[in-house]
Amino acid sequence: MIEITIPKLGLTMESAKLVRWEFSSGDEVKEGETLLVIETDKVSFEVTAPADGIIHPIASEGSTCEVEETVGYLAVAREEYEQLIKDQPPVLAATPPQVEAVEPGPVPTQPANVSVPAQSKGRIKASPLARFMAAEHGLDLSAITGSGPNGRIVKADILLALEEDMVAPEKRAARLQDSAADSMAKEALESIPIQGLRRVIFDNMYQSLSQSAQLTLHTEACADSIISLRKRISKDGKKISYNAILMKITAAALRLHPKINVSVDGDTIHVWRQIHMGLAMEANDALIVPVVRNPDLKNISEIDHDIVDLIDRTRENKLSPDDLANGTFTLSNLGFADIDFFTPIIRPPESAILGVGRIVEKAIVKCEAVVPEQRIGLSLTFDHRIIDGAPGARFLKTVKEMIEDPVLMIS
Amino acid sequence: MTDRIISCTDALAEALAEEMKRDETIFIIGEDLTAHDGIFGQFKGLHQGFPGRIIDAPISETAIVGAGLGAALTGMRPLLDLHFADFFTTAMDEIANQTAKIRYMFGGQVKIPMVIWAPDGGGLSAAAQHSQSLESWFVHTPGLKIVVPSEPADVKGLIKTAVREDDPVIFFQHKKLFAQTGPVPEEEYLIPLGKADIKREGRDITLITYSRMSYLSLEASEQLAGEGIEVEIIDLRTLKPLDFDLIVGSVKKTNNVLIVHEACLTGGFGGEIAAKIGEELFDYLDAPVTRIGAKDVPIPFSPVMENFVLPQVNDIVNGVKKVLNR
Repeated sequence: MIEITIPKLGLTMESAKLVRWEFSSGDEVKEGETLLVIETDKVSFEVTAPADGIIHPIASEGSTCEVEETVGYLAVAREEYEQLIKDQPPVLAATPPQVEAVEPGPVPTQPANVSVPAQSKGRIKASPLARFMAAEHGLDLSAITGSGPNGRIVKADILLALEEDMVAPEKRAARLQDSAADSMAKEALESIPIQGLRRVIFDNMYQSLSQSAQLTLHTEACADSIISLRKRISKDGKKISYNAILMKITAAALRLHPKINVSVDGDTIHVWRQIHMGLAMEANDALIVPVVRNPDLKNISEIDHDIVDLIDRTRENKLSPDDLANGTFTLSNLGFADIDFFTPIIRPPESAILGVGRIVEKAIVKCEAVVPEQRIGLSLTFDHRIIDGAPGARFLKTVKEMIEDPVLMIS
Repeated sequence: MTDRIISCTDALAEALAEEMKRDETIFIIGEDLTAHDGIFGQFKGLHQGFPGRIIDAPISETAIVGAGLGAALTGMRPLLDLHFADFFTTAMDEIANQTAKIRYMFGGQVKIPMVIWAPDGGGLSAAAQHSQSLESWFVHTPGLKIVVPSEPADVKGLIKTAVREDDPVIFFQHKKLFAQTGPVPEEEYLIPLGKADIKREGRDITLITYSRMSYLSLEASEQLAGEGIEVEIIDLRTLKPLDFDLIVGSVKKTNNVLIVHEACLTGGFGGEIAAKIGEELFDYLDAPVTRIGAKDVPIPFSPVMENFVLPQVNDIVNGVKKVLNR
């Protein structure tokens, strides 16, 4: 008999959620087959069978298990398995978590080898198109009868199911009843647990707004210079991103305003020697902020290279915890979504964040004439407990001036 | 535009006469050309119209392809008559190692404006050594363009484009389609390589085919229409370049695919199309992509056995029904 335990996948991992068992109690499994899927804050992982045997899960799907916790057993022979289920009744999906070892007391009078109702593991046969259409319309394939070869569900079956769904009198009546009975009805379309990465963001955002005094200042800069700067330094078809240019400018401005590059630590304010600038990104439906190291010491191409590398690794889920640690300031750009201004939220323990809007042509009055000009929106949020309005505003003004005339960076 | 009804053979001769008149570097070399206007009468009138530009070669495909390649390298535009596509084998080094690769080996400094005209296909009781469909050998050799027309208008438009190409083109023409007639425009026109043609529109299944199977597929689809099945027939016309865009559009509409060719099934070009559809259109498929080709045996001499080996109209009808599960 082999114990199936939750593996320790990383130094910081303490527990994992048991997402699902791929087999039911009593199923024969082969060495190397996936037994169960677990999930941590960061990754999902498939636990495979260490040997051939008969599987007997004891932890239920959906439960949270400690690292090294035994979640099931692999019996080598049928007799061993039958002994196992006497000692440890099998669990089903969605039963309360953690079935503890049952005391050898009065057990329901039931032969030990009675098969437990397990969900069918049979694969539903459906054509690729039928699967695609079912997913698009939210149809449950298991409820549809296939008319194709070997009972395969094909397009015609999906069309029929959709039609029945539309015309079935009981369903239509139920739908009408639903809406007529209570016009105040509010049903969840989906209930998503707040966990994993979402829990981390959830807590951080709340902590940020509840434990500091945030103030946001807005201004706008002429973007002509950074547009032409970008054209001049982008070569061989490779475009340097505005984020790289803005990061360089912001880092240069932070050098002139060191008291923006700060953190509160209890009763102390640390003014940081280094500048490490996070760049807010979206990955797998969640906010993630990898950090570029020392942008003040790098040229724009080097910063761009770092950003591209971080974006690539974010996409491939290859960021290490080090990539996310020790930021001193953050840049957040929502220009891609046509946002002009917003109120970004500081990432503690940082004390300021610069929000960047889109570059857009606007009518500007110059020398008593209305002229078109490319403009970029800037929104600086800072912790008013430790940064006063005037120095915050002066920092933002420096950023604006450097955007309008990047040569000021070397002043 | 007015059309006349002429045969594939007449369309070919007409196209070549127009091109030879336009460009005096074009000449034709092959076996038994001047005495019979080509063994199928395919070069009718050219010998009289262009004396000295129709050259009788010794009975050696090695020599024909070698001489043609040399002429092409030095600025001429030869059209090589291979007599039967089956005879490719004796000129294989000249074609696969030289013709297909010289432009690459010379770093692009030369052009190979050469057409190899090769009658192929069975159905004429010409037996195993004179009945093959060998296009997939050449599709599998980078450096060659492959044309496989069916109707007379396509023969004319495509051969004119082929002789103007600066890269080697293998132009297969099915022997059983030489006498096939069809409308051909009076006016001059060209058909670009890499443009397939929808020979029949339909909503239920995409039937991808070329050469003679195009006609058999049309016949099958008329039968199927009587049973309420509407077949869309794509005649590829050229295998390389391949008009995959047209296939994409049609498959997205019909969700079902049958591929029909006369070449034997295993290793045939149908496998290539099926794989490409599987890779790029998986979510649009409602049934497995299915192929019909000749049985994997030498083509028999006996007409009864030959018909058994080569795909017939009935096989196509049944193939469509199998895909559609009817």
